[in-house]
Amino acid sequence: MSAVGLAQSLWLLVAALGLALAVSYAGLPMLGQSAFLAVGGYGVLLLGPGGAGLPLGVAAGLAVSLAAAGGYLTALATARLDGGYLALATWTLAWLAQRTLIAFPDLFGGTEGITRAAPARLVSRTLGVQLTLTDRINLCLAAGSCLLILAALYRLGRGPAGLDLAGLRESPGLTASLGVAVAARRRAVLTTTAALGGLAGAGSAVLLGVISPVDVSPLLSLELLLAVLLGGTARWWGPVLGIAVLAALPGGALAPTELGGAPARAVLTALLLLAAVAARTVLQRRPRHDLAPLPGRPSELPPPRPARRGAELELSHASVRYAGVTALDGVSLTLRGGQVHALIGPNGSGKSTLLDVLAGDLDAGTVRLDGAPHRARSVPDRVRAGVVRTPQQATVLTGLSPARQVALGARGGAGWPQAVLRQLFGTPRSRQQAAELHAAVADTLDVSGLSKLADLDPVRLTAGERQLLQVARAVATGARVLLFDEPAAGMTAAERGQLQAVLRRLADGGAAVLIVEHDLRLVAAVADRITVLDAGRVLATGDAASVRADPAVRHALLGVR
Amino acid sequence: MISGVLLQVVLAGLAQGAVLGLVALGFSLVAGTARILPFAHGDIVVGSIFLAVLAVVGRTPTAARLAGAGSVALVLLCLAAGMAVSGLVAGLVVLPDLASARRPNSLSWIAGGLAAGLLLRAVLGFYLPQQAYALPDPLRLDALAPGGLLRLPGGSTVPVRAVCVLAIGLLVGLLAEALLIRSRFGASVRAVADDPVGAALCGVSARRVVFGAFLLAGLLAGLAGLLTAPGRALSVDDGVVLGLAAAAAAVLGGIGSLRGAVAGGLVVGTVQALAAYAFGSGFYELAPLVLLVAVLALRPSATALR
Repeated sequence: MSAVGLAQSLWLLVAALGLALAVSYAGLPMLGQSAFLAVGGYGVLLLGPGGAGLPLGVAAGLAVSLAAAGGYLTALATARLDGGYLALATWTLAWLAQRTLIAFPDLFGGTEGITRAAPARLVSRTLGVQLTLTDRINLCLAAGSCLLILAALYRLGRGPAGLDLAGLRESPGLTASLGVAVAARRRAVLTTTAALGGLAGAGSAVLLGVISPVDVSPLLSLELLLAVLLGGTARWWGPVLGIAVLAALPGGALAPTELGGAPARAVLTALLLLAAVAARTVLQRRPRHDLAPLPGRPSELPPPRPARRGAELELSHASVRYAGVTALDGVSLTLRGGQVHALIGPNGSGKSTLLDVLAGDLDAGTVRLDGAPHRARSVPDRVRAGVVRTPQQATVLTGLSPARQVALGARGGAGWPQAVLRQLFGTPRSRQQAAELHAAVADTLDVSGLSKLADLDPVRLTAGERQLLQVARAVATGARVLLFDEPAAGMTAAERGQLQAVLRRLADGGAAVLIVEHDLRLVAAVADRITVLDAGRVLATGDAASVRADPAVRHALLGVR
Repeated sequence: MISGVLLQVVLAGLAQGAVLGLVALGFSLVAGTARILPFAHGDIVVGSIFLAVLAVVGRTPTAARLAGAGSVALVLLCLAAGMAVSGLVAGLVVLPDLASARRPNSLSWIAGGLAAGLLLRAVLGFYLPQQAYALPDPLRLDALAPGGLLRLPGGSTVPVRAVCVLAIGLLVGLLAEALLIRSRFGASVRAVADDPVGAALCGVSARRVVFGAFLLAGLLAGLAGLLTAPGRALSVDDGVVLGLAAAAAAVLGGIGSLRGAVAGGLVVGTVQALAAYAFGSGFYELAPLVLLVAVLALRPSATALR
């Protein structure tokens, strides 16, 4: 293979690796990579020497920034769309880009595209260096970019920062409830993917000196997707294999269009994609690194237990009406640090609604955390303020080992760009943090009685173990106020015992704990205070003995007159 | 008063919009029941008419008038091709892994639908390599009025084809909606869309209903192919943009709402025609793409099932 051909393949690998970050790591089906290649490729040729006349390096930088900005805008515009519709929107972008190039021939040269025959030179006046960008140097740049990105993906998958991506892939909603700013992560991923697409487009356009709509057609988006799928989404080196296979195929994706002709190339791509879909295990295999034990050793020092002291969550005068039904009617409730508070009542009495209001998911009454209004905007912000809740049904993230799920909660709020960069460079500080995280996870698992299950395949957990894991994830966030919705559902007697111990230990550590629970035996054993809800009103509140003696409670719950 | 030219533009837009409505109806039906976006749907529309033309006319089609038997064969083959290809896509890509449709971010049906559409385009591209083809009109709608033009009071004329396409498109769209509301099949469709497990417990097979939805969508796609083809020179590659325009119509009307899909089609068709009239023919294809991105960005709630 010639230097030009190899460099061309390597630039496509750059684009495919960027796509793998979105598709394989973050689970975002992005189909618009060809549009970002177009931005990069046309950008550098239009802005650079022979076009707007900017120095080549500046033009390339601008073109890649434009592509990145496009990725950021795409993420903003699709922020509330789920998988299929994200695919639809980005697929539309791919076609929009190509048809726009054809629709404005004065600007983009129509179907012929644009050509810059002048030899590309990188000149730095300040350093007094002049470098002619030969094919060989372009090849070195492409190879260097590939190696850097591969190293970054390898490290990202292993270390803590990559956990956020796995959470985004497995369940964005749950990941947000653990304090991870999923919307920001999604923007970061799509921006990076687009920037790498732009880099690939700029690199290959400079290499070939020409770019046309055929080079960045939506077919290229599908070929890059195919490259990611062919190599398997489960491994960081998957795209390398995929691009290698495509490059090796005669008349395949990377062959010049004149040889095989566009239809042959398209038929091959379509058949290979169908084959990849038929071999479903390839698509659905879970990334290995996400099921592996946490890397490194836990630090020797005992982990710093989060300070949960002094929390007080106070709700006053909350009323919620759904169409025709009064779910809550002027409910006031105070959760104090150091206490386990149980919320009981018949089905439909408003327990889950009350939990929604306390967590801040539903706006009613006034909620004060330690005397200050608890009015953080997003779910992750509320978790960082110190209030976490679990959903009623145990959600299991099948693609992440239990230890990593707990780690996801433990590092939820950590800032991302710095953390990622530190991890990529493997700074001593990042290793220190990883060791501390490891220790914190081990401690949380120990407290929850899940140490033996730390690295088990999550699909093999029993219903009760899933509930305990759910509690452990929430505990790991370090929140001072913990709201659990029926945590004991599906638990064996032994697991209930474990849960009881966890709740007690949390309260003894100073946290304010609320459980919604039907099992009155568990409630009697663990609760310091009990609130009974009936038809949206507080029937009684107090310690276990006084509530049990309350005639209204006996009437409502036991039917005793 | 609306000028004659603008009236013709709007009418042509409405006619194409009625066709889009049929495509959008199928899109919304499949997206509603299987919660799978039929990425190959537009290709099936264009593919069905080209398959039928290949079989009846051959590799060098012209807009020349067909004999009676040829017309009937073309109509039947086109409808059958739409159903067959749509059923094939369902059988090969969707049904083997129906459960994955409920999983977030499942790649298999997205990649499968895109691959099926690409394969259809590529295979047809082998036999029909030209940029675009003028196709015969087996329904002979132009023959309904002298010169193919309908004279309006006031002296202006409108193409009779556009009026008929609009009428047929709306009629079939409303018929399909009525069928889905009244019939037993329609009830099962809504049951599966709401709760596939609950429907299965009541004896409604999700697989059968999803397959039925794909077949019905394919039939509508075939009809849309018949109606849209003679109106303009058609390229094998036009299917994707047509499908995306229909997706825009379906999202505009709210996914799962069939009446919304028909209405959305009229809106998209009109916008498309007006954009091309005002800014140049290049915008005929750009307008629906921009519209789809805009609707998805501004009204994401429309993608939630209703």
